[in-house]
Amino acid sequence: MTVPNFCGRTRREFIWQAGAGFAGTALSGLLQRDGFHSSLADSPASPLHQNPLAAKIPHFAPNAKSVIFLFMYGGPSHIDTFDYKPAMKGRDNQTIDVKTFGRGGHKNQGRIVETRWDFKQYGQCGKWVSDLFPHVATCVDDIAFVHSMTADSPIHGSAMLMMNSGKILSGSPCLGSWVNYGLGSENENLPGFVVMLDPSGGPISGAKNWSSGYMPATYQGTILRSKGAPIIDLNTREGTTREMQRELLDALKDTNSIHAGTRSDNTELAARINSYELAFKMQKHAPEAVDFSQETAETQKLYGMDQPRTLDFGKRCLLARRLVERGVRFIQLYSGGSHNDANWDAHSDIKKNHNFHAGNTDQPVAALLKDLKQRDMLKDTLVIWGGEFGRQPTAEYAMGTGRDHNAYGFTMWMAGGGIKGGVSVGTTDELGSAAVESPFHVKRLHATVLRQMGLDPNGLSYFHGGLDQKLVGVEHVEPIPEII
Amino acid sequence: MIPIQEQTVQKVAKACFPCKPLNPTRNANCRASTRLSRHAAVVRHLIFAAPSLHVLVMAVLLLSSSTAIAQPPEPVDFGRQIQPILARRCYACHGPDKAEGDLRFNRKETVFSALKSGKLAVVPHDLSGSELIRRVTSTDDSDRMPPEGPPLTPSQIGLMKTWIEQGADWKEHWAFDAPRSQPLPTVKNERWVKSPIDAFVLSKLESRGLNPAPPAEKAALLRRVAFDLTGLPPTLDELKSFLGDESPGAYEIVVDRLLQSEHFGEHQARHWLDVVRYADTNSFERDGPKPNAWRYRDYVIRSFNRDKPYDRFIKEQLAGDELPDGGNDGLIATGFYRLGQWDDEPADRLLAGYDVLDDIITTTAQGFLGLTVNCARCHDHKIDPVPQRDYYSLLAFFKGVTPNGNPNPQVERPVFETDAEKVDYDAAMKAHKDKLRNFQATITAIEMDFRKRVGSTGTVSDAVDLCELRYRFYRDSWESLPNFENLKPETVGKLDGGFFDLSPATRETSFGFVFEGTLVVPVDGDYEFSLDSDDGSRLTVAGAQVVLYDGIHSIGQPRSGKISLKQGPTPIRLDYFQGVGGKGLTVTWSGPGFERKLLSEPNDNRDASARRRKHRKEFESLIASKGPTVLGASIYEEYKSFVHQLEELRNHKVEPPSALCVTESGPNPPETMLLKRGNPQSPGEKVVPAFLTILGGDAAVIPPAAASATTSGRRTALANWIASSTNRLTARVMVNRIWQHHFGRGIVRSPNNFGLLGDPPTHLELLDWLAIDFMQGSNFTEGGNSSFSGEPWSIKRMHKQIVMSGTYRMSSRTASDAASAKDGSRSTSLSDAIKVDPLNNLFWRHDMRRLSAEEVRDSILTVSGQFNSKMYGPGVFPEISDEVKAGQSVPGSGWSDSSPEDQVRRSVYVQVKRSMVLPILSDFDFADTDSSCAARFTTTQPTQALGMLNGKLLNEQAVAFARRLRKEAGTDVYQQVSLGCRLALEREPDESMIRRSLQLIDALKTKHGLGVEKALEQFCLMIFNLNEFVYLD
Repeated sequence: MTVPNFCGRTRREFIWQAGAGFAGTALSGLLQRDGFHSSLADSPASPLHQNPLAAKIPHFAPNAKSVIFLFMYGGPSHIDTFDYKPAMKGRDNQTIDVKTFGRGGHKNQGRIVETRWDFKQYGQCGKWVSDLFPHVATCVDDIAFVHSMTADSPIHGSAMLMMNSGKILSGSPCLGSWVNYGLGSENENLPGFVVMLDPSGGPISGAKNWSSGYMPATYQGTILRSKGAPIIDLNTREGTTREMQRELLDALKDTNSIHAGTRSDNTELAARINSYELAFKMQKHAPEAVDFSQETAETQKLYGMDQPRTLDFGKRCLLARRLVERGVRFIQLYSGGSHNDANWDAHSDIKKNHNFHAGNTDQPVAALLKDLKQRDMLKDTLVIWGGEFGRQPTAEYAMGTGRDHNAYGFTMWMAGGGIKGGVSVGTTDELGSAAVESPFHVKRLHATVLRQMGLDPNGLSYFHGGLDQKLVGVEHVEPIPEII
Repeated sequence: MIPIQEQTVQKVAKACFPCKPLNPTRNANCRASTRLSRHAAVVRHLIFAAPSLHVLVMAVLLLSSSTAIAQPPEPVDFGRQIQPILARRCYACHGPDKAEGDLRFNRKETVFSALKSGKLAVVPHDLSGSELIRRVTSTDDSDRMPPEGPPLTPSQIGLMKTWIEQGADWKEHWAFDAPRSQPLPTVKNERWVKSPIDAFVLSKLESRGLNPAPPAEKAALLRRVAFDLTGLPPTLDELKSFLGDESPGAYEIVVDRLLQSEHFGEHQARHWLDVVRYADTNSFERDGPKPNAWRYRDYVIRSFNRDKPYDRFIKEQLAGDELPDGGNDGLIATGFYRLGQWDDEPADRLLAGYDVLDDIITTTAQGFLGLTVNCARCHDHKIDPVPQRDYYSLLAFFKGVTPNGNPNPQVERPVFETDAEKVDYDAAMKAHKDKLRNFQATITAIEMDFRKRVGSTGTVSDAVDLCELRYRFYRDSWESLPNFENLKPETVGKLDGGFFDLSPATRETSFGFVFEGTLVVPVDGDYEFSLDSDDGSRLTVAGAQVVLYDGIHSIGQPRSGKISLKQGPTPIRLDYFQGVGGKGLTVTWSGPGFERKLLSEPNDNRDASARRRKHRKEFESLIASKGPTVLGASIYEEYKSFVHQLEELRNHKVEPPSALCVTESGPNPPETMLLKRGNPQSPGEKVVPAFLTILGGDAAVIPPAAASATTSGRRTALANWIASSTNRLTARVMVNRIWQHHFGRGIVRSPNNFGLLGDPPTHLELLDWLAIDFMQGSNFTEGGNSSFSGEPWSIKRMHKQIVMSGTYRMSSRTASDAASAKDGSRSTSLSDAIKVDPLNNLFWRHDMRRLSAEEVRDSILTVSGQFNSKMYGPGVFPEISDEVKAGQSVPGSGWSDSSPEDQVRRSVYVQVKRSMVLPILSDFDFADTDSSCAARFTTTQPTQALGMLNGKLLNEQAVAFARRLRKEAGTDVYQQVSLGCRLALEREPDESMIRRSLQLIDALKTKHGLGVEKALEQFCLMIFNLNEFVYLD
């Protein structure tokens, strides 16, 4: 049973709103699990605690069980990676009329910066990929490229919030929160929404990028680290052994049980007793999840863990696979952190910046796709690659090859989890300055993710502030049909 | 009435209403859209429109009736039982926003009269004549209502049938009527009634065959009331004296003491800070600090401690700056307007401006009125009778409010506690300026002397006119000068050349500059400034605008302006923007003895400032090498010291104490237009400030403001309307909040939403009685010596009213499991009570509650003996681990650890950084700061346990607690453990508790080899983790 004491603010009414295609059996199951038959489940003061993260039955049969979001923070340039623009060839430094909007404001003119990389065709589908991604290029037949993404903001702060929470204002739950809210967790020994940061630092706005916003903290992302204690405060303090802690926990449990004994109808107390047992188990399971020694040298090599360049991202990609194996719903990996060239934010020198970040991630990303595939996990795992926006075809400054932000058109790709391979949808204009053919707003991407996870994007809602809030907002939003 | 059915009604889905595509960001999430699915949309034209094609399994919605206790049907309450069903399931097509087939379930006349189709939706006493019943019970999918979503549940249909059979009594939504004066209900068990509150509660219990739980044990009651009023545990002395005082007035003495405690204000303030989305920072990329927000927090604490009447409290926050006797409190209180999130670099500035206003409207309407007016930003409210026009009429009250900004006079005003403080500040400011002038004069004199003696060729032009010159560079396109204070500069820097200089620009077009520095005025006199620019510019000297040359234009026709200046350093500022085409800037000044000296980088000679810099450097090295001999060692040393001191002085700013506050653009705000679909690009009809129509509001009468006024007076009109005893919601909403924090939930469980989608009150009559009592301040005389009697809108009095009631003093357990039911009252068994009223809607016992995040942290610090009770002042920064800070893009940014003493201050003083909340607070469900938080969550998660077991704070406090026990209980471990239990749990521990604790210590020593001290520390850690420690009975 679920439905916690959400201060009376929410009942999982989304299930009522799911439209056609909502199978009766699913409804039935969901209702039971949601405590809809229980009259006890609806109050902040309710003594009946129910685990809000208990696994829930989705709206319809899911294609994916888990999501791995490879977040290329800072905004990778689409025309230098996967959005091939042969028409720009030979036009370097030409000044042209083009409308752009980035951190430098609106401009009507700019100086073309031709891509610094060669493109080649790969795979059965013949996808053009730049030399930045020789490894990922070998996976194109498993990938669906969306070249016509658009977002509401070309400014990092609001754009990050948009990509992660669907809004340009802060205070809304993130995609990972929604997925866990809708589906619960399959493994109570690990968090359901895991974030792994770049060694250079977090993204701007920090925790707002994995916040559960107006939802309870149960659904917020947990930072997992590949070095040190994987989860904050997971390890016992120095001088405290695990056996010692068990001793303390036993005494705690005894006293708590006696206390709860005379308050037997208050199941919150029992839940809190249980949370200590879960924490104790987590201390065992989380380190096990990050224990790379269980992986063969061959696998580690595949992920590039034998080279300093790719060691970090390779580790995190491998960790992502291990977490998926352990039932974690939503995993977000940041490539790049901090500010400026510590991430994909190539304002001054596109070549240097993108060579660096692509070089760190290309092999690990490809390894993740291949590894998931060879283990027959790719079909259940939705992998997303992209940043909060793309970059402009023209130069930001009078000199140099830096590109400003571009939310008018950019590329993201998805693989696995029921996504078609070897397809490319939508286009930008011949410069890549804006989406022209079938533009897809970020909401469409979010809708696609929810859809593949078995959730109705227009039905999954949470009552807050007098409104049924939704990840995809007010308009009816369709997933991207061409890639499903 | 069947209790289970009531619950079901509440649990029915809030219908999803089709919302049109909209633009705004905040609310862009109204109920939408699957209902407008392809199939359904086409065929809906008849009354009780078309079918939806999907079938839902009805059986699963069947309610087990076995738990319901059979009783004759009570009268169905339309407002509480029927209207919510209609609102949630029918209003989408037959409500305020839409009237398919001319039927509106929010309008009585359409429900009871013949519709287009000739049918009647409801015929009182006639089920078969009521089309409503036929349609909701139809087994034909194409005929059944509602067309989308699951059918109504059998219990809902049952309620509707009963309602019609009983005559279909129709009342408007309770919250939109004024509170009604309520006679006290009669009860059987009169002995139980300690206050009027009890009569209301008991009469309901008796009508359902329930008895109240016995009174709480004294220790439990003390702990409860201490936390509820002050957020802190009682001390052992307080426990002892209460347990020892058998007199009838013992409890009231405790209550009065707690109400007088300064901690009362701190605790109650935190509840209010949740409602007004208080934070110390702005969120978004920089998450920069809001200057002086903490003064607002302190203002709230002081207001509660001084028992400021609630009506005054409202007026100060909404319009304290306009109150004739507003004073500093009035100014500081308007920080209310500035507390929300603010993006200093929005993608769409116009929309962002409306988002900020929306945040103010949302907080005002939900916070003071319990109405989700925010739902009407894009269209008429789908459920509540709030037309879109009302939203914009409300917005008109705030239309003059200046945008948020970085620290500047637009969001900050000086506040002086006393006149003397102001005098002191003025004196300090003058002294500072005098000092600067004197140093500069002395230095110049020595330099002149030096030049003379060495025969330097230096001329007046070497003397710097502009010093301390700094620039802020902006990148964007404008057609006229923007208010740069609202924008985020791309870069900032210093200009050494002594000229206004465009060369830091990183591009040729679409940029702007603000230059600020000091103009060295040689003598008192009249000066003329000339300004030529491509494009617009504005020159401000000594705080006065001297030349404005705005708009897009080219160079060649300079503008000029005159001003009288005093000798000495004078602030100067130049705003400039480049829109399209070329750029250019020439600023000169003329004055006594000189003509048209350049203040800007000479256009014809780009090396001039470099030359000037070079000259200055040469001069500096010259005086450094020859100064000691030419001037004499002592004078040169003096000179050096003056130069150094001048530099120091310039870095040291004399700043007045300032408040984060509201300002307006002037006496006449811009017009307000209704925005179609909430889109700022689609202005519709003009609206004027007007109150909500559903609350009987009309256009506001606002006296015309004087031309010299700095504000419009509109906010005062709004404040007076809200803070009025004729407002139907204000008092109810506040007493409900006060109630909420004593019982864990409001009488209305949705404290920010009294509308149709909110939860109906469990005790409407009680709510109304409390509201009227609150506004009237009638006497409450238990014990005859109440400290707060008679005050209208007295918050302390309302707290006392509530905590003195027998209802509040009930045990959280029933007689069957609370062994000590002393008064032997007829108590219902737990299982019976749970069966009849599982949610405790009727208050048959007191609900247990977990401590809030702040209470958890504060009581750990109190028990360990580390608590620092120092009050007020800027936010403090308890240590946050590097692991947590690693989540920031610049780890540690905006968070430098406070001194050890400040780190153990009360949680209400901890800096609220939107993007990084102190972990122990966020772990225990701190409020989301980005919108008004009506009620905290209570989550239980393993991560809480990890922090409580392994976190640094907990382990440090366990060590401190153990130290305290050794100090206060001596070396005897039994005494240590016994004291530990008493301190942490505020009760006498039973022997078994002590025995188990001793066993733990023993095991840690013998089995795990811990020393005596370490073992005691582990015991202390265990105590902090007990359920009993974090839960109140």
